[in-house]
Amino acid sequence: MLRQEINELLTQTGPGAPMGELFRQYWLPALLAEELPSNDSEPVRVKLLSERLIAVRDSEGRYGLMDEFCAHRGVSLWFGRNEAGGIRCPYHGWKYDVTGQCLEVPSEGKNSTFCANVKLRSYPLVKIGDILWTYMGDPEKTPPLPEYEWVRVPEDQTFTSKRLQESNWLQALEGGIDSSHVSWLHSGALDSDPLFKGAKANKYNLGDLKPFFEVTDSDGGLFIGARRNAEEGQYYWRITPWVMPSFTMVPPRGDHPVHGHFWIPIDDENCWVFTFDYLPVRPLTAVERQAMIDGHGVHSENIPGTYLPVRNKGNDYLMDRDAQRRGITYSGVTGIALQDSSLQESMGPIVDRSKERLVPTDSGIIKARAKLRKAALALRDEGIVPPGVDPAHHRVRSAAVVLPAEESFIDSLSEEMTVRPGVAQASV
Amino acid sequence: MSASSLLSSSARATTAAESRFRIDYPLAPARAVRVVALDPAAEAMVRLVAELPWDSARFLVAAGTQPAGEGDADGDESDFSVRKLDGSATSLALELFDVDVAVMVATTDSAAAAAATIGAACSKRAIMTAGIVIGNGQTQATVSVLRPFARVLMVSADESDLIALLTAVRA
Ligand code: FES
Ligand SMILES: [Fe+2]
Repeated sequence: MLRQEINELLTQTGPGAPMGELFRQYWLPALLAEELPSNDSEPVRVKLLSERLIAVRDSEGRYGLMDEFCAHRGVSLWFGRNEAGGIRCPYHGWKYDVTGQCLEVPSEGKNSTFCANVKLRSYPLVKIGDILWTYMGDPEKTPPLPEYEWVRVPEDQTFTSKRLQESNWLQALEGGIDSSHVSWLHSGALDSDPLFKGAKANKYNLGDLKPFFEVTDSDGGLFIGARRNAEEGQYYWRITPWVMPSFTMVPPRGDHPVHGHFWIPIDDENCWVFTFDYLPVRPLTAVERQAMIDGHGVHSENIPGTYLPVRNKGNDYLMDRDAQRRGITYSGVTGIALQDSSLQESMGPIVDRSKERLVPTDSGIIKARAKLRKAALALRDEGIVPPGVDPAHHRVRSAAVVLPAEESFIDSLSEEMTVRPGVAQASV
Repeated sequence: MSASSLLSSSARATTAAESRFRIDYPLAPARAVRVVALDPAAEAMVRLVAELPWDSARFLVAAGTQPAGEGDADGDESDFSVRKLDGSATSLALELFDVDVAVMVATTDSAAAAAATIGAACSKRAIMTAGIVIGNGQTQATVSVLRPFARVLMVSADESDLIALLTAVRA
């Protein structure tokens, strides 16, 4: 249960809202690099944190993210002509560079200084890995660039997809933190999905449906450990890191690529789910990459040319009651991503958390909410920089290991839960 | 497409407008929760938290095991005494009757024997156990002591996780 005013505090991320200001402390994934594939690419409309923006890549390859609407009379610059070092509004020809600075106002005289004083609100847009990142906060306080391992490994070792989720960001994030649903909702995938099957440890998942949980603070957020019985005297541990505000990683399986998510608010009722797979030490095989493109694993099959899932609420996620009855899928929805998304969207765009009946095994979620609230209030009231801004906090890994029963994952896995260049993920 | 494309389809049912029609009725009464402090520092913290307005939560202190025979650490619950915060003695059997959740709070690894006894008593009664380990830094010994007996363990810097957990389960 969460009181209504706290639910509002955590779910509202527009300008001026405490959680909105919290998000504006971080570099965040704004779009995939493939959305602006070349110089003078078509501009892309992006809504982030309830602000309507336009992303551009100019003739020299510079990226920019700015107010979507022309300063003159508010036309969407999506209709603009992106050419010769700027984007020109098609209505009366005002032209802007990637920083939103107005370069030309054709109606003004040759020596007019008018346009020097016209600047659209803009944010930096930086390519790291396959992602274009933005920082929407106070420019004076711009933090160092992100160092998440998935965007720092060589290109052939990483893949990211994106999908729209029609729910508040927190509903989506909470699914990434709550690993207790995996043995239910995703049970069908462990022996069928090409990006999951065959891992030795899958049998521990299926053999012990009541994991124990341990939740502990990390510098940037939390580590959530789920422990299941393994061989005599041993436990199988799956460790999920959460880095504030909304980055989570899934514990790996065997030698399969490691996946995770970045959950980014579009507005209070929608979010982008950036979904990645990577390997710290080897390239993805062609088969693995194709499986990801095809929407297997934690990726989604999207409507071609869009980031809208093929299975969506408009078609009841292509619910397959027969597959549900036969146990092929547990919920009747195909694919892990949409299994999650369908249920989270079913709660309504912003779930009423005052009606929940939480249990102690929800403690990862309970602690994450408490940390978010505390950080948002500390920022608002005392200007304290929240956890997860420091790039050192980004260098975490998920892990899946078997440990002797008496060992603590927090003690024994401190190296495994940290990025170690040149060393593979800890996985069984 | 089947009949689901009519009024009850996801596209319509999950909009904000339709979400407002989720039936509004009081949730069933809060579940019975016991919080047990396992050592003196934990007791101090539990006393603070107990001041807040709770519904069904009751707060206890593990007073320890009666000295039994040499090397006898079988954790028999009838040898184990607990007291209420007002100092009056009570028994585990009485306190765990009809309880849904037991939260053990510890700050040191001296809590081992108490954790074992309470954990066993809870598991016999199918009571969900949670452990909260308080302390900045050196908590590993305490964590490993509680690990076998708590379905959920939270490592915390202060009382805020205990408050968050009790609030979340509507204690
Ligand atoms: S069982 Fe968890 S939401 Fe229904
Ligand atoms: Fe999931």
